Amino acid sequence: MAVQDTADDLELHRRLAAGDRGAFDELYRRYAAQAYGLAYRVTGQQMLAQDVVHDAFMALWRAPEAFDARRGSFRTFFLSMVHHRGVDQVRREQRLRARTEKAANLDPVEDEDPADAVAEAGYLSVRRKEVREALTELPAAQRQVLEMAYFDGKTQVQISEELQIPLGTVKTRTLAAMRKLRSLLEEAP
Amino acid sequence: MIDHDAADELLAGYVLGSLTGPDAEEADRLLTEHVPDCLTCRSTLDAFRGVTGELGLVADPVSPPETLLPRIERELGGGRRRRFQRGGPARVVAGAAAAVVLMGVVGLSLLNEGGAGPSQLLTKADLAQVNRLKDQPDSQVAPVTSTVADAQEVEPPDHSELYVMGTFEALGPGYTYRLYAVRDGAYTYLGPLGPATGPVAFHVAIDPATVDYLVVTSEPEASPPSQPVSQSTQPAA
Repeated sequence: MAVQDTADDLELHRRLAAGDRGAFDELYRRYAAQAYGLAYRVTGQQMLAQDVVHDAFMALWRAPEAFDARRGSFRTFFLSMVHHRGVDQVRREQRLRARTEKAANLDPVEDEDPADAVAEAGYLSVRRKEVREALTELPAAQRQVLEMAYFDGKTQVQISEELQIPLGTVKTRTLAAMRKLRSLLEEAP
Repeated sequence: MIDHDAADELLAGYVLGSLTGPDAEEADRLLTEHVPDCLTCRSTLDAFRGVTGELGLVADPVSPPETLLPRIERELGGGRRRRFQRGGPARVVAGAAAAVVLMGVVGLSLLNEGGAGPSQLLTKADLAQVNRLKDQPDSQVAPVTSTVADAQEVEPPDHSELYVMGTFEALGPGYTYRLYAVRDGAYTYLGPLGPATGPVAFHVAIDPATVDYLVVTSEPEASPPSQPVSQSTQPAA
């Protein structure tokens, strides 16, 4: 399933690069909820999350050549782009105002079309489970710094101050977490 | 001899976007001076980027607001077309060494002395100024799409000028960044963008009203500029 879906993504991307709006719509259907969930988790604000997802999809449409299949899967490329833009929004917002909403208050996604829900579940839910399991295998201290950086958009200096641990420790734990996740996710089927 | 554990530590923080101050500067140096020629580091960088993508799956999927897709579709409109409806008179940038009009792009003027390209690499002080412009309420900010550079277009509130700012990674030997303007689906080569690595800002001497969006590519220096294609032109690691 995962291999086939990866191939489907590549085919959709190929069609997208040729200007096929249908391929764009299909990629939106596949990834919009995941991208929005991630953007909301990182930014904590619906409007910011909307902007992040909007910009990510528009960037994909405008320059599909930004994705290079030699450097990874489409899924990781796109979600990495969404995350990066989300963190960028957080940094800007930190300068402008305090965050007032939390993603934890959101309702879980509910697809209106059961067939669509099954299609997406088959594509992403298996990998989601693997990634979540991999996270649980990290030592708690490593997981904590990784989640503060990734989901809260905090800098290593901010993490050091909040946890009252040396900056060097934050760096060490971050690297250990990334290496372990890399290994675990490469091992996963 | 580089300490690869230390390098990996920087790369891990870099892909998470969590570096600041001296660490960010050190990472920029690493990406500029070492990573392009180091297969190990390039592989690590790609792998860590992959991890940041996979971590996105940990977040619960959430249906986006129903207004989002119509908003995107409105912009998609008739295809890969204008992003902004820019207004106001175009202003010729002071200090232009030469005024050159390229096919398909009206109002392009070269800033660099000698006409080497359409962009001017700004100083660190200017970079901070562009950063401040970004945060002004009436500024327009949009992504610049690129395989290797993570950049944004910044238009100040009066929309008379255009900047490109972001993090430009070091390229492999013999490769250079190239800047294209896209209007109505047609790509026009504006010139080389650089030299640039790390967090930088460029002033792009082009009337913002004449361009839909900008694209940055990496291409062999020796090759003639070509319309960006669907695959990266950067050499494989």
